[in-house]
Amino acid sequence: MDEKELIRRSQAGDGEAFGVLVERYKGKVFSLAYGFTRDRAAADDLAQEVFIKAYLSLPRFQAKSEFGTWLYRVAVNHIKDFLRKNRERLKEIPLQEAGDRVLASSDLGPEEQRLQEGRREIVQAALARLPEKYRVILTLRDMDGFSYEDISRILKLSPGTVDSRLHRARRKLREKLTGHLGRQGGEHGL
Amino acid sequence: MDCKKAERFLLRSLDGKLDPEKKTLLQTHLEKCPSCQRKDRDYRMILSLVRPQTVPEPLPYFKERLLAKLEEKGKTAPALLWVKWAHRAVAFSLAAFLLFGAGILFFRPQEPRELSQTEKFLLQDENPLGEAGSILDQQEAEDRNMMLIFASVGDRDVSRRYRP
Repeated sequence: MDEKELIRRSQAGDGEAFGVLVERYKGKVFSLAYGFTRDRAAADDLAQEVFIKAYLSLPRFQAKSEFGTWLYRVAVNHIKDFLRKNRERLKEIPLQEAGDRVLASSDLGPEEQRLQEGRREIVQAALARLPEKYRVILTLRDMDGFSYEDISRILKLSPGTVDSRLHRARRKLREKLTGHLGRQGGEHGL
Repeated sequence: MDCKKAERFLLRSLDGKLDPEKKTLLQTHLEKCPSCQRKDRDYRMILSLVRPQTVPEPLPYFKERLLAKLEEKGKTAPALLWVKWAHRAVAFSLAAFLLFGAGILFFRPQEPRELSQTEKFLLQDENPLGEAGSILDQQEAEDRNMMLIFASVGDRDVSRRYRP
């Protein structure tokens, strides 16, 4: 069925039509939430809340943008609220500790794989420490692979701002990581 | 090319957004700048570590659980709607009350006020010195005196004044 028709029916309260939209977009919304939480259960909860919010706001959706763009905007705003409310609970662990935790775990198999996981943990911990606007743009671009144009529409930013903010975010992330990946990184470390 | 510009090009090249000409310039710079070579390596390594290897699927029965929640919400929706409208009604009443109060303050009818002598002269377009001037202009002393006497008795009706 045509997406416009599905939206029109959902706006009229047709749960079945909304179910089709959920099937279409659940992967991307879940992946977006997972990028921020790195926890499957938390990401699942967040994705459910995003769809509930979207369903309740659907009567106000006027098709000025694509449904997907609108839905991702709802998702990003909801996830930002979640991160703000849980800032204390999600207080990040020290960067080096993040890597050590993985290196200490014995069930990861070969040495190189453990090193790589350690580096990955450190990068995620550094990402969580960035200011929200940089974290959001890096997650959208570098984790979820949204194009510059999509990010510009989702965050309602000009393409120039997307470009400069993304570059600043990558610089900040590198600054945070300097000196931290060395131990795990061996000769390829930072 | 300086290192600052090289870093800008380098960041753009991560997204494949660097045109061939600039790519060549960056390459030339990288060949002779160990500091920028390190930056290039760092950025590429971080990017590969940020990108998730695999993203898990949502938990089972995602759609079914969601639709059940929506159905549950639907049952409580009328109550929620009422609360929402009650909040709006309170806000609207408060705003209307404030507007009404402001209206009364700014647009209340003004009581008629007694005009001062100067205002009267101005409104009637009269020159208060005009009469005195015409008395002093008289050539005959007798006329002047008579006019002064009439003016001093305070007869406000100018038509009944003495005129030579």
